[in-house]
Amino acid sequence: MESPWDPEGVEICLQPSGELTDSKLADGMDLRALYKRVVAARCLDLRLARVGVPMWVSSAGEEAVALASSQLLRDHEWLYPGARDFAAYPLRGYDLDEFLRQLAGHRTVDSTGYNGRPGGISAPDVWIAHAPEALGAHLAMAAGQAHAELLKNTGRAVIATMGEGMTTVGMYRETLAMAAACDLPLVLIIKSQIWPEGAPAEAGVLGDSVADRVRALGIWARRADGADVVGVMRAVRQALTRARERRGPGVVEVVVTQLSHCKDAPAHRDPVERLRSYLDREGVWTPTFQDVVEAEARGQIERACEAVGLTGGTHG
Amino acid sequence: MAEQSVLTCLAEQLAQALQADERRVLLGEDVRDGGMLGLSRVAVADEQLADRIVATPLAPATTFVHAAGMAMAGLRPIVLLPSAAALIEGFAGLAEASRVDASTAGERQAPMVILAPCGPGFGLGGDNAATLEVALTALPGLRVISCGDASRVCATVAQALAADGPTVVLLARTALLCTAEVGGEPSEDLLVPQELHTGAQATVFSWGPALANTQQAVADARNAGFDVGLVDVVSLAPLAVDALVAAAATSGKLVIAHGGGRLQGLGAELAAVFADHAILHLDAPVTRVTGTPGPWPRTGEQAAVPSVEAIREAIDKVVNY
Repeated sequence: MESPWDPEGVEICLQPSGELTDSKLADGMDLRALYKRVVAARCLDLRLARVGVPMWVSSAGEEAVALASSQLLRDHEWLYPGARDFAAYPLRGYDLDEFLRQLAGHRTVDSTGYNGRPGGISAPDVWIAHAPEALGAHLAMAAGQAHAELLKNTGRAVIATMGEGMTTVGMYRETLAMAAACDLPLVLIIKSQIWPEGAPAEAGVLGDSVADRVRALGIWARRADGADVVGVMRAVRQALTRARERRGPGVVEVVVTQLSHCKDAPAHRDPVERLRSYLDREGVWTPTFQDVVEAEARGQIERACEAVGLTGGTHG
Repeated sequence: MAEQSVLTCLAEQLAQALQADERRVLLGEDVRDGGMLGLSRVAVADEQLADRIVATPLAPATTFVHAAGMAMAGLRPIVLLPSAAALIEGFAGLAEASRVDASTAGERQAPMVILAPCGPGFGLGGDNAATLEVALTALPGLRVISCGDASRVCATVAQALAADGPTVVLLARTALLCTAEVGGEPSEDLLVPQELHTGAQATVFSWGPALANTQQAVADARNAGFDVGLVDVVSLAPLAVDALVAAAATSGKLVIAHGGGRLQGLGAELAAVFADHAILHLDAPVTRVTGTPGPWPRTGEQAAVPSVEAIREAIDKVVNY
């Protein structure tokens, strides 16, 4: 099932066929529950596509990053999200109404209104930071937060997420320099893509692997396959453990397939489909289960859209 | 009260600030080695402070946002810059730090202080001689304090360190190089306009790198028998409009003296404020006297601020209007 879309240099936990490389790899993970969340994330993405948020880009195919960052951080550990990890907010328990209200740029009755990046959301209740406007600023801000955790000896880690295009930005380089110099408990999750027809300049691909480039800076790095939710969770957990134990910063490169752009990518590049194959093999997945999971997610999203007065079509 | 160099006093002050509050963190180039101006020298000598003296890469934008992240997490960072020119290099980061409160609808704050030497005095020229205040005051959410009077630098910095929200303190190099009567903890608020002299015939407004020449020109005019007032504006953002207007109304003949060019300088904003709020008190056109627009060569950096003679001429002009 290897295809030009499958990354090299990754440790695969969930095979393209849906088989676990080793059953122990999923120890402590409830894959059925994870599946529900990843489906909910996809439903949210499909719904947001119709809301009309400025500069909005679909993150279908990238759900593993929002999933891992929202599920593996503990309470009081901050997430500084990139521009395309919307699912992380509800997955971390943020109120869907408030999420959509901010996303749409509405003011709440008694709030002064948020003034971040268009579509940016501030959710300190669930320890998700607002979205700065300058490119890469959320990375430096996350590093500052991590620095405070280190100085206060809290044993907490901080995650920031970003796309590989951000690796061309000065603040990314400078943040890595700071993180390495001060051994900050910072985990960067960097989404990269495989470009079978050559990378555009904005991708900043100076080699095949972001992880390789980071390693050359002397920073711990792992590469994971974004279609393999189990593998991504594993790599991010490792990075978080190191950070919490004051063993320094870490970078997890997650190779994703942007499903909205890459129409000819094989089905196993879709993290939802890959996890579904696993549940199917285990005899846990049925079409009825799928219908129930989707209906539940869509119902919640639709109710919130109505409550907030978001137009832009409903699920048909 | 004792005679002391301003730099030594500041270095002691920063060490005391770190000792007094364990949320305080000192960041900057070379701060582990005493800092570019020796301002972390005293703090470095105290081993207990070692963790909280953080040498940063040569990356102003990232340093400002990093400090903001620290502040959002409950620390009180102090950033030492070699020059206010670094504020321009790190402008995107400064803007980001300034709007934390607005971007989070008040749910998070970034109390941090950036200390930046500015204006002529070290013979560096170029951006170093600039006053930069117009770029800084344009950033919503940023407090900009200007220190031009050597005798008040240390006390003003002490008060700024206790302030909430992101604050830039611009330190005039001419004042940093002075020896002054320092010490004591003045009880009055030093972060607002300071009326150094009252006068019925004219009122001069100045701040920062231009203040020393202005003080000289006002002293000359007073010695010549003119009753001339002097206000150090101090707070460039936000402008303390009421206090400034009240001072302007006492004489109705106003001179504004500041560093940098005249075009779209902060003096233009002040003149507009006086026109808006004190027009019935004005008895002469508001007169501005400024430096040249730059860039300034190393050997001619004094042109960045108005000369004593130019300020004196402007005073004579409004008094005799």
